[in-house]
Amino acid sequence: MDAIRILLSRCAALFRRRNLEEELEEELRTHIGLAVEENIRRGMTALEARTAALRSFGGVTQTKEAYRMQRGFPSVEMLVRDLRYALRQLLRNPGFTLTVILTLALAVGANTAIFSIVNALMLNSLPFAHPERMGAIYARAAGSLAFDERIDIDGEQWEALRDHVPALISAVAGETSGASGVNLRAGEHVQYIHAGRISAHYLDVLSIHPEAGRNFSEAEDLPHGAKTAILSYGLWRNIFGGDRNLLGETILLKGEPYTVIGVLPEGAITPLNADVYTALQPSREGEGGGLNYEPILRLRDGVTWQQADAEIGRAWAERAANFAKYNHGARLSYYSVPLQKAQTGELRPKVLTLMLAAGFILLIACANLAGLALVRILRRTPEIATRLALGASRWQIQKQLWVENLILALGGGLAGVGVGFLALRGLLLLLPENFLPVADVTLDGRVLAFTLVVSLLTSVLFGMLPALATRKMDLRSSMASRAEAGGYRLRLRQALIAGEVALTVVLLAASGLLIRALIHLETQPAGFNPTGVMTAKASLDDARYHDPAAFRKLLDESISAMQQIPGVQVAAVGLSLPYERALNDAVTIHDGKEAGQQFGTDVVYITPDYFDALQIPVLLGRRFTAADGPNAQPVVIVNRSFMRKFFHGAIPVGRTLNKNAVIVGVVDDVQLSSGLNPVAPLMTEETMYIPAAQMNAQLLPLVHTWFQPSWIVRTAAPVEGLTQQMQRALASADPSLPFSGFYSMSGLLAKTLATQRIEVALLSAMAGLALLLSMVGIFALVANLVAQRTREIGIRIALGSSIRQAMIHVGGTGVRASFFGLIAGLVLCIGALRAMRSVLYGVRVYDAPTILAVLVTLIAVTLLATSIPVLRIARIDPAKTLRDE
Amino acid sequence: MGGDHSEVLQGTLDLMVLKTLESMGPLHGYGIARRIEQVSGNALTLNQGTIYPALLRLEQRGWIKAGWGVSESNRRAKFYALSPAGQKQIEEETGNWERTAATMARFLAPSG
Repeated sequence: MDAIRILLSRCAALFRRRNLEEELEEELRTHIGLAVEENIRRGMTALEARTAALRSFGGVTQTKEAYRMQRGFPSVEMLVRDLRYALRQLLRNPGFTLTVILTLALAVGANTAIFSIVNALMLNSLPFAHPERMGAIYARAAGSLAFDERIDIDGEQWEALRDHVPALISAVAGETSGASGVNLRAGEHVQYIHAGRISAHYLDVLSIHPEAGRNFSEAEDLPHGAKTAILSYGLWRNIFGGDRNLLGETILLKGEPYTVIGVLPEGAITPLNADVYTALQPSREGEGGGLNYEPILRLRDGVTWQQADAEIGRAWAERAANFAKYNHGARLSYYSVPLQKAQTGELRPKVLTLMLAAGFILLIACANLAGLALVRILRRTPEIATRLALGASRWQIQKQLWVENLILALGGGLAGVGVGFLALRGLLLLLPENFLPVADVTLDGRVLAFTLVVSLLTSVLFGMLPALATRKMDLRSSMASRAEAGGYRLRLRQALIAGEVALTVVLLAASGLLIRALIHLETQPAGFNPTGVMTAKASLDDARYHDPAAFRKLLDESISAMQQIPGVQVAAVGLSLPYERALNDAVTIHDGKEAGQQFGTDVVYITPDYFDALQIPVLLGRRFTAADGPNAQPVVIVNRSFMRKFFHGAIPVGRTLNKNAVIVGVVDDVQLSSGLNPVAPLMTEETMYIPAAQMNAQLLPLVHTWFQPSWIVRTAAPVEGLTQQMQRALASADPSLPFSGFYSMSGLLAKTLATQRIEVALLSAMAGLALLLSMVGIFALVANLVAQRTREIGIRIALGSSIRQAMIHVGGTGVRASFFGLIAGLVLCIGALRAMRSVLYGVRVYDAPTILAVLVTLIAVTLLATSIPVLRIARIDPAKTLRDE
Repeated sequence: MGGDHSEVLQGTLDLMVLKTLESMGPLHGYGIARRIEQVSGNALTLNQGTIYPALLRLEQRGWIKAGWGVSESNRRAKFYALSPAGQKQIEEETGNWERTAATMARFLAPSG
């Protein structure tokens, strides 16, 4: 009861404050008045009476304060008062406030943007029911060829997984790198769309149920089963107008009729992100003879992952035993990994590196702000000392300072969210399509919570120094002095600057190395002439082109039509292009001392003019000609790497591969995106070229499910409307075959190096930000010093010191801080940069040009940041400064 | 401060105020303060101001009531009066004090 009454009375007091304040005033006035009257009655003079009355009352102000404490919620009232005071203080110093908020906005914004990607990739659940029960399969081997990575499997493994692992619902997809392009004929139109080939139960693993119709049955998923298709909601609406009667009807896909059996629900997301899904019909032959299926798993209820792993191990025991037999007893083990981790595995270290860089930015910002706040507190020493003298407790002063920090942190945090949002949008625009394996990256609650925590943490970090500084404040000397910067505080600020410069050096060196690596990749000899080449892709994953004769006819007619385009010098077709990934296959040497040896190699089918169109030099032997037809002697051309690796440099012309294919020539290497042994994003690789006309009927449909061949034309000068003319030329050979895209060679290069470019862009942006913040830090240090020491400098100049000496004296402070930071940063680099070894190509970790560039940049920035404020010294008028004393 | 002056014990001021109002009837703050000083024979040094937070505390607990009136010298003053709850509180507190005093007396009495 009592407690409630007191609470109510206190609450009421919060709102009636003004009135109550007047009443208290009046009551106390009456008290003093009555006391004075009594004292006068006792014979005192008016003055004596008043003094005596006040003395016996005690402190009026203290009484009021005690009364107020009893009356309302002193903590709330005081907080409001502190907030108001803090806001006034901050508004009185707009330069300081703005600098802090801007710095925080940049630092917090960078962190928010990067963290939202971390959040989307690693923290947010996959958009499927019970994502924690979904997995992928990894294989781990120890020893000399140690690896631990996600695997694709072949048809035999798939059957074992499907039939002998009851703990899991398993499924496989046919495209190991997303959906592939196919042609869909709808009415008169031929539409180029993305198709995903999935096994039965794939959608069950994702726990997606068709909105209309059903999933693939197991019978439909058997080799040579019925051709069925499931449409995405988007395709069903946009192409077929959401027609419900479409179920059971056939559509013409890849040149064949497919029966539509289902439509996915709106917004359903699959890892393939395709427009249409067809049954994979996995087998042990053809595609299933190699590791071309990508499994995904769902744990059945009541089973653990340990049980599932044990079952997988048993099902594939023979495979592991074979591995051990051929690899000196190395143990191979299979295990399941949560799908989310498997899908983000490659990006994970890159994103975490960026997060680390963003953390550096935050520390640098903190160091800057701590320095600024320290200067500010020194400047406010007289004010704080006055408040202490008037009876404020140290705790109250501290609280006031922290409230100011809090306001700054929240303001900066809010601005940071805005900057982060913009940075994130910009970043997502920069990324190529489907680069991130997630549907969307958003600023959700978790990101905002992270931003709040980061902002508060920042305010603690940069608020700590000034708060500590006030604890040591000596009342008497502080009030007397005019707040000179003590030597220890200057050294502290210099240490802060040195620290941030050190971190900046690490970021600069790291981004410098990445830039060097990218330059190396982009400027290494391509092995062909990319200028004047335009290419176009079309999907031949089409029943009509399973027949080699039809395929040959298409190539002949389309190429000769393209030769007719005015300005075109050469036209050709190839299964893949330089800068792209090529098809991998095994090849066996048939004769000579290497007979019987089997290797993996890139295989590219080409038309005779491919080497002319790309200007790839032929080193030995001859090109293909029209005479290398289907009924002629099978011939191949290999490249320099192939010759070096498999024939140890001996001339291979005339040797035989794969029973009967004779090597007729050797061409130079070209740069391509590696598929065999990817140690760099762009490298040369052993390659075997075969005439397109000699492609056999088994291989032809298979390669076209994975690859879209490219039509290549070389022109001497730019040709107006070239791409439309190329499309018309193709249409003259097959009116229902659209090109899926046109690519210049520089466009392909950019696509292949997209990851590297993004890394360079992001890390350079971070390094630039760090550099900017460090520059501001050095500038602020020296500028404050000039402002504080104007008097001292004036005296020095009056006593005969030259302006130059004064400038060096003050500017030296900033230069020294930066110098120590530079040294510390280089020491840090020795350790930190080693972690980058795996992403550097053609450049060593300790790269002299990079280090030199970092040195020059920092020296230039330091000199710039010190000289601007130091030049102000020249304007100091000693007479005026001394008069001001 | 003289050696025979003592500070008001924490918690005893409330009881003194209540007792004063019980014996004197409604009174303003100055009157209460003066009365306490007189009764204690000026043995207590009371910063007169300290009774105001105490008065507010007692009012919040409902032991006294407050209202504006006019003093003997025609000043507008806030008068305090004991409430029935305050009356009960005096009895309870007095009992407590007597027990404490008796216990203390036994401790302080020469043993034997």
